Amino acid sequence: MKIRRLLVLVSVLLVCLVLLTLQTRGYGASAGEAVAFITTPIQKAIAAVPRAAVGVWSVYVDWKGVRTENRRLREENRRLRVEALWVTEAADENRRLRRLLDLRNRLPVATLSGEVIAREWGGWVRSLTVNRGRGDDVKRLTAVISPDGLVGRIVEVRSGVSIVQVLTDPSSTVGAHSVRTRTPGIVEGEPRGTIRFKYMARDGAGLAIDDVIVTSGLGGVFPRGVPIGRVRAIDDRGSALFHYALLAPIVDFARVDEVLLVTGEAMPDLAAFFTLGG
Amino acid sequence: MRTLIALTVFGGGVAQATVAPALRIGDVAPDLPLIVVVLLALRRGPELGCVAGFAAGLLQDVTGGGLIGIQALTKGLIGFAIGIVGGELRVTQPLVQVPGLAVLTLVEGLVRFALLKVFHFPVPFSDLMLYVVLPQALYNAFLGAGLVLMLAWAETFRRQSS
Repeated sequence: MKIRRLLVLVSVLLVCLVLLTLQTRGYGASAGEAVAFITTPIQKAIAAVPRAAVGVWSVYVDWKGVRTENRRLREENRRLRVEALWVTEAADENRRLRRLLDLRNRLPVATLSGEVIAREWGGWVRSLTVNRGRGDDVKRLTAVISPDGLVGRIVEVRSGVSIVQVLTDPSSTVGAHSVRTRTPGIVEGEPRGTIRFKYMARDGAGLAIDDVIVTSGLGGVFPRGVPIGRVRAIDDRGSALFHYALLAPIVDFARVDEVLLVTGEAMPDLAAFFTLGG
Repeated sequence: MRTLIALTVFGGGVAQATVAPALRIGDVAPDLPLIVVVLLALRRGPELGCVAGFAAGLLQDVTGGGLIGIQALTKGLIGFAIGIVGGELRVTQPLVQVPGLAVLTLVEGLVRFALLKVFHFPVPFSDLMLYVVLPQALYNAFLGAGLVLMLAWAETFRRQSS
């Protein structure tokens, strides 16, 4: 019995160590592919359930307290309200998709629209799964944007889906600069789910609250001028080489449902296509 | 029974990618697969706990887009360990459940951090503990304890009705 237990433990440890070793040598994609082949259809099916279901349920709970109205009227009222909720949800979705389409049509770079079908929000990894994959010719490190600003980059492309590393992921770094002062720096994700701007404290580099930080376009991964966040607090470290600014992300990563994948090779300045609001 | 267990582990993995974000309090989401693995290991022993942990962790690794094998390893170890010591604990007691799950989450976090450091994980230890591991440990503890109590009540009800 004890030998069997030990065998199971050693087997699991060995498989994991082999997997990790393979990935460090660049052979990890096929292992992930095999498991994703099973999980992806289920993720897609669950994402297809209308998002309005939660709202409908909460409205239904409220109604349970109302006892004075006539039963028939209540039933009719309920039906009408449910219909209204569906209409509101449809209108809301329509508005979001219109904004996305509008941005897509205006951008001077090739893009591909995608729907978010799952989110990983544990803190160690912050990622979104979008329903575009290898079949759509998506490539690793493709920039992902929304009508509000930058969402992140594709870190893994699979059959039918891609994994997007969002800006708040602790391993995420993006070259950026301040719109007002042109101060260059790096936007980093933090474990607490926030993002910060790390910059060199030189003369004239001083940031102010509400300054907008956009992508710098250096490195060729992200187009220049895509909004990232707005300065919420500044961590002035005196004579230290680097100072930090805590940013409020422009994009609400927990709510973004539709995104654009920047598939074009050219990386023009996109600042003119986003509303910075100061 | 094996199908049911496989479905439970798979369901936990899918729930983590779909339901867990909706259960967020602030920015803290529970680790549902870890809770499922602990519950399975307590009931079915170390072999199944280890395999279930491996499977659930592998699913999380794949859906999260991180290094594949990290969570498979940590959750496999947790499943094995809790399966071994589970027989010695009175896990129906809330006084054991809540701190037990919190400690397990902390241990899993520490092992995972140590493994990730080998692959140059850039995040400082203190930040990770303060903002990710500790809040998640507390969340897991209370959610897991609630699930254990619900399962105990369901079993009592089933026994009484039969």
